[in-house]
Parts: sequence; C-alpha cells; structure tokens
Amino acid sequence: MIQRKNAIPKTKMGKRRQKEEIAGYLFIAPVVIGLGIFYLFPFVQNIWFGFNEVNQFNVAKFCGIENYIRLFKDKDFVMAVTNSLKAMVIIVPSVLALSLLVASLLNTKIKGKSFYRTLYFLPAVTMSVAIAMVWKWIYNGEYGILNTVLGVFGIEGKNWLADPKYAFLMVLIVEIWMSVGYNMIILLAGMQGISKSYYEAAIIDGAGPIACFFKITIPILSPTILFVMITLMIGSFQIFDTIFMMIPKGSPALAESKTLVMMFYQNAFEYGQKGYAAAISTVIFLIVMLITAIQFALQKKWVHYEE
Amino acid sequence: MKKRMKKLMALTLALVMSTGVMAGCGKGKEADAGGKTKLSVGLWDSDQKEALEAMIDAYTKENPDVSVEIQLTPWKDYWTKLEASATGGVAPDVFWINTFHTELYQEGGILADLTEEVEKSDLDLDANYEKTLVDSYKIDEKLYAIPKDVGTVGLWYNKELFDKAGVEYPTDDWTWDDMLQAAEKLKGNMGEGNYAIAAPVNAEAYNPTIFAAGGNIISEDKTAPTYTMPETMEGVQCWIDLIEKGYSPTIEELTDSEPDARFQSGHLAMLVGGSYMTTQYSENEEIKEKIDVVEYPSYNGKEPNQAGGLGYAVFENSKQKDAAMDLAIWLGSEEAMTIQGQNSSVITARTDTQKYFTEKVPEWNLAAFVNHLDEATAMPYCKSMAELRTLESEKYTEAFSGQKTLEEVSEELQAEAQEIYDRMNEK
Repeated sequence: MIQRKNAIPKTKMGKRRQKEEIAGYLFIAPVVIGLGIFYLFPFVQNIWFGFNEVNQFNVAKFCGIENYIRLFKDKDFVMAVTNSLKAMVIIVPSVLALSLLVASLLNTKIKGKSFYRTLYFLPAVTMSVAIAMVWKWIYNGEYGILNTVLGVFGIEGKNWLADPKYAFLMVLIVEIWMSVGYNMIILLAGMQGISKSYYEAAIIDGAGPIACFFKITIPILSPTILFVMITLMIGSFQIFDTIFMMIPKGSPALAESKTLVMMFYQNAFEYGQKGYAAAISTVIFLIVMLITAIQFALQKKWVHYEE
Repeated sequence: MKKRMKKLMALTLALVMSTGVMAGCGKGKEADAGGKTKLSVGLWDSDQKEALEAMIDAYTKENPDVSVEIQLTPWKDYWTKLEASATGGVAPDVFWINTFHTELYQEGGILADLTEEVEKSDLDLDANYEKTLVDSYKIDEKLYAIPKDVGTVGLWYNKELFDKAGVEYPTDDWTWDDMLQAAEKLKGNMGEGNYAIAAPVNAEAYNPTIFAAGGNIISEDKTAPTYTMPETMEGVQCWIDLIEKGYSPTIEELTDSEPDARFQSGHLAMLVGGSYMTTQYSENEEIKEKIDVVEYPSYNGKEPNQAGGLGYAVFENSKQKDAAMDLAIWLGSEEAMTIQGQNSSVITARTDTQKYFTEKVPEWNLAAFVNHLDEATAMPYCKSMAELRTLESEKYTEAFSGQKTLEEVSEELQAEAQEIYDRMNEK
C-alpha cells in the first residue's frame, strides 16, 4: 500500500500519476487474476456446492441445507471438531513457547549460530510426507528407536500409532517438531529488529535477563507473536497429511483420530460426495474465521504497536 | 489505518488458507490431424505401460490410419483426473476402469454401452471369458467394459520358516484346518519376531471365507448390508481367531509393520495375498528363492476366492467413439491378450491366455491363482462401496483388536451401513 504524506495537489497530478496508477495495476494483475481464478472462484463455488448434492462429475443438484443438517447429526463431525480444537490447543502454545525459546537462544552470542539456525530450520524445508515416513519408523512398536530408548530406562513402549489413546498426540508431536523451525525464524527476525538501546537502558536500571525478556522482548515482539499465533492456529486446524500418512487404514486409532480436513478429504475424494465435502469445508472456514476474529478482538489487550 | 490494513490482510490470508482445494485440468486432444484418427488410452499402472505399448504397436500396424497416445496417470490421481477430464469432455477415448467404479461412472454418463458392438464382433465373451468377470461390468444386461485382467488371492508361504520349524509345506489341497494345524506347529518355533500368518483387517483376505461360509456383506438386490448374517460373521471370526490363538501379530503390531512388509523381509511364514504381488515378490532378491504359493485353503468344503480386476471402458462423449470401441474390443482379442500375457504379470481376463501368467515364474506354483477361477465370487460392489469399506474396516478393527466382540461390532456396522444404503437408495 502506497501512502503519500505530501500528496501532489490535484491539478498537478496529470498524466504522470495516471500512468503510475496503470503500472501499479499491471504489477498486481498477475497475482490478483491468479487469486481470482484459483482461490476466489473456487471459494464461492465451494459455498454454492455446500447447498447442493454434487457427484464425482460435478453435476450439482440443489438440496437446500440438507448437507448441513446431515453434518450436524454426523457423529464423526463432533469428533473431528473436537480433534481439530485439541490440535489447536496443544500446538499453538507449545510451538510458540518452543520457538520463542529457541529464537532467544539463537539471538545470543553463541558459537556455531548459523549452524544451529540451519538445523532448526531444516524441517521447514523438508517434505511433510518424508518427515511422516521417518517418524513412523521412530514410533514403530517393534523396531522403532523410541521404544528402544524407552526400553533402556525399563519403560515398556507401545504401538504408538495404533493406540487410540496416544496416536493423535504422537502425530501432534511431529507437527510441533515440524513447525518450530519456521516460526523460530520469524520470531528471530522480529527480535533482531529490537533496538539495543532498550536493553542497555534496562540493564543500567538493574534489570536481569529474565526481566529484559518479559518486559522488553515480549511487548515489542507482540505483533510478530500475534502473526505467528494466527498462522499456527489456522495451520493446526488444517492438519491432514501427517495423520493421513502416519495412521494407516486398519489402525485401531484411525477412527478416533480424524480431523475436519480429513473428513473433508474422505468425502470429496474417496466417497465422491463433493456437496457434503463442500459443506464441511465451509464450516472449517467459518470456524477458522471465528477464532481469528476473536484473536483480533483480544489483541487490543496485549499487542503493542511501536509508534 | 495501518492496523485495519493488517487485519484485512490476515483475514484474506485466513480465507485463502482455508480454501486451498483442487484444480483439475485436462489436456485437449486434437482430432483427425493429418488424416489419421488420433485415439488416447488411459491407464494407471506404470508396470503395464510396456505391455500396452506392445499391444498398441500391433494394433496400429494392422490399422495404419489410427494413431494412439498412451496417458499414464498414477493411481492416486487417476480417478480425480479422470473425473475432471470427463467433466470437461476430454477424457481418454479408452480407459482402464475397475469393478469398483463401473456403476458410478455408468450413472455419471461417462461409459459407452458396448453391448451391440461386442455382439457384432467375434469376441464371443461367453466362450472366452469367465462369466463372473463379464457380469462385473454389466448393468441392466448392458456391457460397459471389456474385461482386461483378473486378480485373485492365494496363500504365499516362506519355505525357510517352515523348514526352521520342521513343518511340511502347504499344498493346494489344504483346508482351513490344515492351515490352523500348521500354524500351531509353526508358532514359537521359527525364532523371535517371526509369525505363522497375518490377519489384517483386509476384505481381500476375509471376503473369500465369508463367501465360503455362505455369507456376504451386501444383499442380493444391493439395497441392504448383511453384516449380521451368522455366515458372514463366521467368515470374519475365523480370521479374528488367528490373532487370538497367537498365530498372527496383533492388529496394533500389524499397523506398525504391515503384513506385506513382514513377508517381504522374511518374518512371516504365510500370507494371504494377491496374484498382483507376483512382480514385486519376483523382484525381491531377499525372498524370491525362499517363497512359493498355493491355493487359498478350502473352507467349508468350498474353494473360496474373490475375483477383482479391471476392464477397458470407452468414453461416452469421445469424438471418435466408433474407432475407440473398435480398439477396446480388439484389446480383448486373443492377439492382444497374448501380448499382454507375455509382457506383464497379470492374469488375463481371457481364459485361453492365462497360461502366460502361470508360466511367469516357473519355479512358483502360480496356477494356484487360476485353478478355481470358475468358483470365484465377484468382488461385492455398489455405488457407495468406498464409504462402506471405510466404515467396515473401522468397525471390524474394533473386533480384530479385541476391544469389542464381533457380534457387537456387526450390529453397529449393520445399523450404520444401513444409513449409507438408505442415502444411496434415496437417489
């Protein structure tokens, strides 16, 4: 967004300004057209499909709110919403805490800083499918490294991905491990933007490192933290690939580990019920929207914008 | 102002992130370029591309005015892409279809009716093909695909593990009880980490025993589930028993290391598995010399098996439908099926060319897969089968893992499946 403090008086605006405007529109055109075709249009179509019965071949037959009635009666729906919320409640605080911790450690003067930064960022540039495969082996009940390590301490391991009590949680651990790196980089960038003079002043006044962290770093970083929280929240609501890859068909844990996106996928691409699936994804959108709106309402209380 | 902008940005972001759905696209095809009729054939198995190419070469040699393009789409994208391209009117002229999708696609108006053309041709389906296979592609007495190949199951076994426990190898005459006795002797005598057999929640494995016991999962008129039939439950219970007696790893263990992975690494003595595993097993140096296969053990005095498979369908809205039908019918001819049999490891749907499969790996008893093909039952299907299968697998898992009894699970399954049928029948 272009903001002109001393805008040129209208009479002088003339052709040059006009030309600039056209150039501006041309610059944003590829993105706007792309978003329109690939996001906005399917988004509107999706909402429309939610009120239709749609088969494999996109033939739509209007059916009112039948899909939504069916959805709210569906046992799976309640479980999927609960699971998605559970994922959010576990992932958001833990990733936030961990990436804050890692970011502040990497913001100090330690040896091999860039090595560690690369190391922590690696999961973010690795395909989630590959990550899921490796973790599946780590969790393997008979041959997995996790149970071998637990065995050393005399703890008997489990078939983690087959146990309805643990499977979902174990997948969330992988999700957390995957997201720390990326969010750490964003927070680190934010931290490096904080002027040293604040800390110097605080230290002269007798503040310790902990006071510095909570009284200076956190408040100044709060807009970045808000961004991280919102993207994490949206991301955790959309967990799909790790569960799909790690909890296979035939696992006793699968029935109880479904998330909303998983439910959407099954209906759209496995059962050929695209109308019902569209209704599910509209509900996902509404829930995400609602939670984001709440966060925006609450941000006034804690997010501090530097003037 | 700045704040509002940020808000807007974030909301747009939320919107965008929560809608990333699909974008299917089909490639347009050019008709009649250079006087030649251009046809396309769609398939999903890269292992069979070579065989198809050989068949196409033979066909275009006989029909020089036709050129054929092969469109390979991996299995995981095949149906999504086919659905999208059929919707856009640009699906391949001839494409692979399995029994699972036939009814749905026929209803969607995608499949051309081949009945008349086949009758006019010299294909003679009744004489050259197993009735079960042909019937799988018939809806209301009309034929919608030419059967291409068939898959059945057999009992693969690892000789090394049998030797270790000093147990005699399985034979084609084995009954289910013979298998149980062998499993009892194998159990605990093959070294640590090795199991006698695997009992996964896999319809391909338990469907044959359901059929042999006299049960089924779907009523004859395809309008209701039949999970609570005592015969159906018997056919499933005999698999659960394998776990309870300790012959098979538990379902939890099978989740972490799947039956096939155990067999291919030499840790499983017996595995009920498909004929289509032949290629993979014969390429696995670790086990190739150690394994062999026999017929699915007879159960209740019957030779149980389930015949699945696929066929060649013609796209209803193809611009060259006549030429496409001609190609599809030719693909079912003895000449084409011979090339298929020689160049791939599938059991051809045509009876007279099945010998190429049984000779594929001479040291293996591959005839086990075709010996009782005439007694095999077609894979049960209806329009909601994908949804039913997921439900069935989730429910049966509770019984296989011992959380609930099979009776309890079958009652629940019957009730929930009925809802799916009701929804399907309503339409």
